[in-house]
This record gives sequence, C-alpha cells and structure tokens, in this order.
Amino acid sequence: MAKRRDLVPWVVWIAMMVVVTVVLVQVRETIDQVHVILVYLLVVLGASTSGGRLLAFPLACVGFLLIDYYFQPPYNSIGFNKSLDFVALASFFVTAIVATDLLVRAQTQAAKAEQRAVEIASLARLGSETLSAGRAEDALARIAEVIKSTLKVTDCSITAWDPAEGFTASTRGPVSRPEAEGEALLRRALEAPPGVAWVRFSGEIVRRSAVDVQGPAASDMVQRILIPLMVQARPVGLLTVTNEEAVALDASQRRFLDAIAYYAALAADRVRLVAEAEHAEALREADRLKDIVLASVSHDLRTPLTTIKALAQSAALQGNDSAAAIEEQADRLTRLVSDLLDLSRLKGGGFAAANPELNTADDLIGAAVRQTRGLFGDRQLRTIIDLSSPALVGQFDFSQSLRVLANLLENAARYSPPTQPIELAAKREGASLVFSVSDRGPGVRDEDLARIFEPFFRAKNAAPDAGRAGLGLSIARTLAELQGGSVTYAPRPGGGSIFSLLLPAAEVRLEALEQGDAMAHSSTIRSSTNHRDDA
Amino acid sequence: MPDADVVLVIDDEPQIRRAVRDALRDVTTRVDEAANGIAGVDAATSGRPDLVVLDLGLPDMAGVDVCREIRQRSAVPIIVLSARHSEHEKVDLLNAGADDYVTKPFSVLELAARAKAQIRRAKTLAAATANAAPVTIGGLVIDTIARKVSRDGIQLHLTPIEWQILATLLGAAGRTLTHQQIFDAVWGRQFGSPQQYLRVHITNLRRKIEVDPASPQLIITEPGVGYRAELAR
Repeated sequence: MAKRRDLVPWVVWIAMMVVVTVVLVQVRETIDQVHVILVYLLVVLGASTSGGRLLAFPLACVGFLLIDYYFQPPYNSIGFNKSLDFVALASFFVTAIVATDLLVRAQTQAAKAEQRAVEIASLARLGSETLSAGRAEDALARIAEVIKSTLKVTDCSITAWDPAEGFTASTRGPVSRPEAEGEALLRRALEAPPGVAWVRFSGEIVRRSAVDVQGPAASDMVQRILIPLMVQARPVGLLTVTNEEAVALDASQRRFLDAIAYYAALAADRVRLVAEAEHAEALREADRLKDIVLASVSHDLRTPLTTIKALAQSAALQGNDSAAAIEEQADRLTRLVSDLLDLSRLKGGGFAAANPELNTADDLIGAAVRQTRGLFGDRQLRTIIDLSSPALVGQFDFSQSLRVLANLLENAARYSPPTQPIELAAKREGASLVFSVSDRGPGVRDEDLARIFEPFFRAKNAAPDAGRAGLGLSIARTLAELQGGSVTYAPRPGGGSIFSLLLPAAEVRLEALEQGDAMAHSSTIRSSTNHRDDA
Repeated sequence: MPDADVVLVIDDEPQIRRAVRDALRDVTTRVDEAANGIAGVDAATSGRPDLVVLDLGLPDMAGVDVCREIRQRSAVPIIVLSARHSEHEKVDLLNAGADDYVTKPFSVLELAARAKAQIRRAKTLAAATANAAPVTIGGLVIDTIARKVSRDGIQLHLTPIEWQILATLLGAAGRTLTHQQIFDAVWGRQFGSPQQYLRVHITNLRRKIEVDPASPQLIITEPGVGYRAELAR
C-alpha cells in the first residue's frame, strides 16, 4: 500500500511533463522560448511539492533535454545554434534545482513545526487530563491511548508500581498476576544511571539519557520499549510500548515519549497517592472507631462496676460475706476490662507515646513499692539502692516505667513462694539504668524462653491465676520499648528469675543543680527583703 | 463522730451517687446530691458543703469547668471521680483547683479515707492561719518558721531549694501538687533548666528526711501528676 502511494506523484508529474511537451510542441513557432522555460519550471516545482527532490531533480534533467530537443533551433535535435540559448537553458536548470531545494526545505520545516505543534497540543491536553481525570486510573488509560495513536503502535500500557506492593494498578484493568517479567526489567532499568532507560524486548537495556534523542541506529530496532517512570528519582511505574513488528523511533518520537513519560509518571504517582490517601483515611476512621469503642467500654463498663463494687464493699464492711464475694468478682471484672483495653492498645498501637523526662531511680522504686505493697503484705521486698553515691537518673516516662516495674513485681509476688524475699535493685550499666526484680520462683523453662513476652502466653507450670489475660509481660516490653528501653529475663543463680527493666540513663550536671539552688536562694532573700520593706 | 456536716456529690448517675453516699456514711452527717454541673456549682456555693465529690463526664459541663467555677466561689475541697486513668486529665483538674482524684471503680475505704483527709486539711487550714507549731512526724521535727529540720534531735542540712520544696508541699499537706504547681511555687515563673531537676531535688530531699528513701512515707509520688506531703496517718 505504502509503496503504491509513493508512485502516484511520479506518474502524475511525468504525465504532466508529457502533456506540456505535446501541447507546447504544437505552438512552438508562435511563443517565446522564455515562456516555454517558465512552463517547464512550473512543472518541476510542482513535482517537488509532492515528490520532493527525488522526483524534481530527474524531472529537471528531463525538462532540460526536452527544451533543448523540441524548442531550441535546430528543432528535434540535441545541441543549439546560439550560445545565448545555452545560457537560457542552463538558467532553467539551475533555477529548477535551487528552487526545488528551497521549497523542499521550507516544506520540511513547516511539517516539523506542525508536528511539534501537534505534540505540544497533545501534551498540553494530556497534562490537563492527567490532573482533572476523575480517577487516577483514567488518566493513565488516556495517556496510554494517546501514545498508542501518536506512535501508531499495536499496544501501550502503563502500570503503577510501588516498591512495597509491586504493581498496583494497570491500564489493562486490575493487576491480577505478578508481572514478573516487567518487574525484573524495571528493577534492572532502575540500576541504570538516572535518566530515561530504554529497555529492549530481548531484555537488553539500551541506555539513553533524557536529552540524547539522536536519530535511530539500525541496532535500535525494538519490538517493545519499557520505560521506568520516575518521580524525584523514585520509581512509580512502568510504561510499555509494544508493536507487532520491530520499530525504530525517530528523534521526535523519542522526544514525545520522553515528555509523555513524565506525565505518565505523574499520573502513576497520583494512583499511589490516591491509594495512600484512601488507606490513611481508612486508618483514621478505624482509629476513631477504636477510640470510641475504648472510651465507651471504659465508661459503660466502669460505671456499673463502680456501683457494684462500692455497694458490695459497703455491705461487706457491715459483715455481709456474700457482698465480699461480689466485690471480689467486681474487681476481677475490672481487671478483665483493663486487660481488654490493653489488648486493643497492644494490637493497635494505642499506648500513649512516651513522655520521657528526667527522673530518678529512687523515685521510681519508691512509687513501685507503694503501688504494689498490697500484694506483698507481710512478705519481704528488699530494695537495693546505693544511697552513698548521687541519685541515679534516667530519661524516661515515669508512669509507663512504673507500670512495667509494678508488673514485674506482681509477677514475682505471684510466681514465687511467699516465704522467699523478693529483691528490687537499681544500678547503672553503661548507658542504661537497670531495675532488676529477682525472685526465688520456678524460673522460666528453656522451651518457654522465646515466648514469655508474647501476648496471652502463660507457662504450663504456672499456677492458674485469677482472671488475668497473660498480657503483662508483652505490655511491659511494649511500654519499655516505647521509651527506648527494654525488658529482659535471666535465670537467677541458685534458682529463680531476674526480670530487668532497662531504661536510658541520663547525666545530671551537679553545677546545674547548685546553680538552680543559688538562684532560688537569692530570690528567697530578695522576697524576704521585700517583705521586710512592706512591714 | 462524723468529720463533716455536709458533703456534696455531683454525678449524673443515681447509682453512683448512692454508692458515694454509702461510702461516706461515717464521714458526714448529710449528703447533698446534684445531677449536673450547673446544679452542682449552685449547690457548692449555696449549700456550704465541707467537701465536694465531683464525677466527670457530666452531660452539661466539662469537669475542668465545674472545678474552676466552684473554685472561683469557694475554697471547699474537691475530690474528682474519673473513669479514665489519663494523667493529663488529672493534671488539668488539679491545676483547675481540684484537691484529689479517685479512679473508678474506687474502693469505698479509699474514698472515705481521702474524703476525711481533705476535710481535715481544710479545717486545719481554716483554724490555724498561722501554722507556727513545728510539724512532728515520727522522729522528724520540721520547724517551718526557723527553717530547721531535725531527726531524733540531729540537725539535718537542707539546701535552699530543698527547703522551698518541702515548705511548699507541707503548706498543702494532703493535697497533690502538680509538677507545674511546685515549679511555680519554688522557682516562680522562671522557665528553663532548673525546673527539670525537680525530681532530682525531691530525691535528694527524701534521702535526707525519709527513714527509708526507697519507700517514702512523707513525700508521696503521684505518678505522672506530681507530689503530695502526707502528714496524717
């Protein structure tokens, strides 16, 4: 088809040459030779507009010979009588060649300009479509459609890609199977230096920088072009152009692909952003619901529990044994409600962010002892703090650390024989404050070691305990880690367990303490002086 | 012999009002009740109670606002009941003028003990405007006028900051002071580095005056909220 279409100008313009010659020969006695030359010139120029140089140059030669043969005396022979006739003929030839060349050049430039205008228009349209498309996926589909029709290739597809999730959305509809081939190529393309990497179907990567859009080499014949789509050096997708036959792209087509790949990248990135926004929205919604549920569980369950406990306790204080049992069960329910809340926090990350402040080991130990003293009763809890050296300080969240330490003390009290004292010690080890709780209980069996910090874990040899969910240690560890610390276990020499809470230690500059003192001191003096003045 | 004549309970749940009434049976001769914040603020002013027990989560007013409104009109001690363990809430309430805080579900014994402590504190405060007598706890004698502390007759040396902290806590004995309230009292409105050492100063103070600094009996830590001096036991 294409070849036959190319022949049409040849046939038309050769026929025109024949017609012109036939007509002019009839009237050659009556018209001026100059007019003949002008007519032939017109034919050659006309041929150049549709057939280019390839048609116009041969026609100019033919015209030269025809004029000489038919229109210059002696007629019907090659050669001329007057040298001026030759000058006229030569002028015709030179004019035809030069004019043809200029015309063709102008035409080419006009065509180029027109093509650029089309490219720019289509890019501009794409730009606005990319931004205004209702769904991000629609923008991708439109870009693919434009590439397909502009490059006249069999197929074009754009796939959004996420480093974590792989291919997420495609212009071919939902990504149903992992596009392993595309992904492998994309990863390889990404290893190439920054810029656009052209990937050949064979898997060979033909590197092209973004500005290198020189004409195609024969070796660049490709059946498929894969262009990694990048936004700020971050891969966001893959553009695939496929043609049944191998093609080589010319400079303008490459430029077009380069430019459009940019839009495609933006559109693919938008797919990701929209997905992220939807995900974040869903998370927020879930978070909000969780908060509502937590708050209502907290309020709705605690209010009746408060009433039951208070009334039962009042009755129990007046000697009602059944009321005492009711109170115990209310306490148990309260603990279960707390465990329930803790579990949801543990799973959903709902524990409040740590608020680390400068705190002392003394203070934490004192508060832990006070909070757990009900558990110990007559039982001995030995606290070991070095009172002769300056107070140990750390940077930690007091309440959360207290909860951890109280939990370790509770466990020690629950799992060790009541006759054995429990030790609570604080010391500094490197960059950590270490609070250790040592008991003489059964310790942790080797097979349980890996699991004691998991939610709901309870050792098989542990005594059944009253209504606790077994969350203590997992919560303890979570809370410790929230503030840059940890909870560890070690067997105690001679039997038993040592559970340790490690927290970030801090330094106190003594001069700062004294400076603070001095300032307070001077302000005291000043205020007492003022007082005297007033009096 | 009840400690108080009138205790006002502000709570929208009738069952909780009943439970509080039962809990305070031995503390007061009469319990007034208010079912919402506006009625509560009114009753706290007109009824001249010796103590207010305020439940949070009232339908009409935020707990902090109820505290503030009552505090503007009266110095009556306020004990807050809350279902949440939020320390933020505690701190806000104490800063708004609440005196103590009990988390639901509470023990009636604990509520009664705290109610007694608040009533007694308010009465002592009213009776002795100039609390000149030295405070004596165990072997510890604290003379706030002469600024002297001794244990079993042996003089203890306190730094000026430690003195100010001790005096501040003793001045509000039985009441939890938030960290901010102690900062303000000791350092004034001076911001910056000295304040972050409050806990270190308290630790050093305890090491001097407490019998067992690892189990303080005089200066009690309210985790995440502040400190309280406990004199009555």
